[in-house]
Amino acid sequence: MNCVELRKSLAEIETGGSAEQQAHLKSCPECSALVADLNLLAAAAVKLRAAHEPSPRVWNSIEIALRQEGLVHPPHAGRSLIPSFSSRWAWARWMVPAAAALLIAVGVYVRQQSTPVQLTSNTARPAVSATASDLGVAGLNDDDLLQEVSEQMPAMKAECIDNLRRVNQYIEDAKSDLAANPNDEDARRSLLEAYQQKAMLFELAMDRSLP
Amino acid sequence: MSRRTIEFAAIGAMMAGTLLAQTRKEYRFNVGPTAGVSVNNPYGSISVKPSPGNTVVVNAVLASDKVEVDSNQNGNRVDIQSHLLPGATEESGHVDYEILVPPDASVSLHSTTGPLRAERLHGDMTLEGAAALVDVRDVSNAHVHVKTLNGPVTLTNVFEGHVEVDSLSGAITLNRVNGPLVQVVSTSGGISYTGDFGDSGEYRLTSHSGDIEATVPEYTSADVSARSVKGEVRDDIPLQPKTHTWFPVKEGRAFMGTMGKAAVSSTVVLRTFSGKIHLRKRAEK
Repeated sequence: MNCVELRKSLAEIETGGSAEQQAHLKSCPECSALVADLNLLAAAAVKLRAAHEPSPRVWNSIEIALRQEGLVHPPHAGRSLIPSFSSRWAWARWMVPAAAALLIAVGVYVRQQSTPVQLTSNTARPAVSATASDLGVAGLNDDDLLQEVSEQMPAMKAECIDNLRRVNQYIEDAKSDLAANPNDEDARRSLLEAYQQKAMLFELAMDRSLP
Repeated sequence: MSRRTIEFAAIGAMMAGTLLAQTRKEYRFNVGPTAGVSVNNPYGSISVKPSPGNTVVVNAVLASDKVEVDSNQNGNRVDIQSHLLPGATEESGHVDYEILVPPDASVSLHSTTGPLRAERLHGDMTLEGAAALVDVRDVSNAHVHVKTLNGPVTLTNVFEGHVEVDSLSGAITLNRVNGPLVQVVSTSGGISYTGDFGDSGEYRLTSHSGDIEATVPEYTSADVSARSVKGEVRDDIPLQPKTHTWFPVKEGRAFMGTMGKAAVSSTVVLRTFSGKIHLRKRAEK
């Protein structure tokens, strides 16, 4: 092995290196010194990262320069509407779009209920959909929530079951009220609020079950 | 040495050990106007008060070495996170925060156990926690958003802002809360309002099975509609009845009318499915 071949194969030296490489290093002071320098740099770089992290002012200056060049744009003013999730929430991120989809499905359902129904002798009024089918549109159901809570925090399962029972009863009662009073705007709004309570239950119950 | 002395010494040693295991940390951040501050603390309290200048001061008391505080400032935004380490429990992962923020800062507090407290601020605030007690007082010109499952919620002296409270079963108490929008929704928690429904706002207090009680002075100006599908409804204040109603006003189950001056009135909706509704007149001193 010559010096050129050794330098091409430098990555293998980290893992011990072959007999040829070791033999060349023993006989070649220049290559040996090079490998020693590289090892020293690698060790120092790790310490440098921890001890000499640039101050926030450096990053701010870089950001300002990038903005002046039009390469980045300032963030929108005001609060973000979507809460940020740390990595430990990653597996539960499906809850956010699912909860949003639930509310959209609710809005569509409530709007459909607000359309005047022309009753005739031959027309049957459509039955009120069960909560399970509404949630099925959004990909959420009670069993999913209970399973997650059981796995993450079994002590909270009983409370979760009780909360689900209350909020499902709320939804059913609101549906009945709307069905009995289809022109009652408050009844329609109450149904939406009931679904929002359930979406909140999903959101906060999952939050509680996370370690 | 008597047995009692030994017991006292043991208790003292345990308390000292507990105190020693606690760690106190302080963080300071310089921010500009309308800064954003968010705190995510799974176990423990968060209390927010105004600071005199443009500094965010975070004082944290950590219960053990099973939890650490991650703090980050990105421009005008400060993020505080209680980072639970492997093996942390609700007790060992407990952190109590006392935070000072500029009064115009937007604040977002999140804790499963709470309590969550905020006072004397006028920036937007969000307080969330499954079982957290929430206490907000002396806030003006701010949007206040509260979400709990079974934590009780108390709002006191909150003016000229939007208030939205969602609590599944926790009791909700509003004392002198006025604004263009005040909305409270609960599944089974009771709602208690004491105030004058001022600011020509829209007030909506809704509970599926909890009771709703509103105590107002005689000079209140409001269009009031109240309805309970299955519960009892009582009205202690004479109302000028509405000529047109959009739901059947059944005696004992609903009432609708105007109190005070219609020209400057707020809109008040009290609604429950099986709870009771009581509109009471505040006793004048």
